[in-house]
Amino acid sequence: MSRMIRKEILIPQSREEVWQAVTDSATLAEWMFPNDFAPQVGRQFTFEVPPNPQANFDGLTVRCTVLECEPPRRLAFSWTAGGLVDTRVSFELEEEGAGTRLRLEHAGFDLAAPWGEQAFKGAEYGWAKMLKQLVAILTNTDSQTSEGSST
Amino acid sequence: MVSTRNPDADVFGAIGHPARRHILDLLAESDRSVSAIASHFEISRPAISQHLRILLDAGLVTEERHGRERRYHFIPERLAPVRDWLALYERFWDDRLQKLQNVLAKKKGKQ
Repeated sequence: MSRMIRKEILIPQSREEVWQAVTDSATLAEWMFPNDFAPQVGRQFTFEVPPNPQANFDGLTVRCTVLECEPPRRLAFSWTAGGLVDTRVSFELEEEGAGTRLRLEHAGFDLAAPWGEQAFKGAEYGWAKMLKQLVAILTNTDSQTSEGSST
Repeated sequence: MVSTRNPDADVFGAIGHPARRHILDLLAESDRSVSAIASHFEISRPAISQHLRILLDAGLVTEERHGRERRYHFIPERLAPVRDWLALYERFWDDRLQKLQNVLAKKKGKQ
């Protein structure tokens, strides 16, 4: 069972440019969601996933706290949304040739205490709702995404 | 039997406890009886039986009679909802990173 999500991509832009795209609130909103992010450790912020009435999706707030911020190398923040409590997302940027290698990790899917048994009990706060929300997010905010080339 | 409105939620509830995850690890190696499972734990046999009951209710485990003892058997396919759930997040990040690349490429084009 996978307990961590890892992604790695090579981006042709410089590390400074990628760092800016990952840590500038406005740019972050372009590829993630509207947010009040600021690159300071301890900063609490949210991603506001907009509602989509067509998909019967009422929107979703992801609560985060900046855990690490070392320009232009490393950014990490906690990620709490729905039944997913205190998971951790991190971005690591490394120079590679003229470009940048970006490593993403989303950890904490270890089914341990934070998820809690009660988090999945009851129809209201269940994972099923979370799944539906995620499906709605994926199928509706990204319908115009171009052909994939991530590795 | 525990009745719930969402049987899949039971799968998540069932693996939410470390002792039950350990039991599944043991059963993934081979089928075992209650006493064989209990020998790996400090907790009492009735407590183990209770955990097994929850795993049985979630459909993660089945029991089979072998002479006088009952052996427990792990059904990994029942973890599919957990895998699906993670797979969705996998896709989520693939899409986000693709978008990040698009945003960066667009900015580059404007310069």
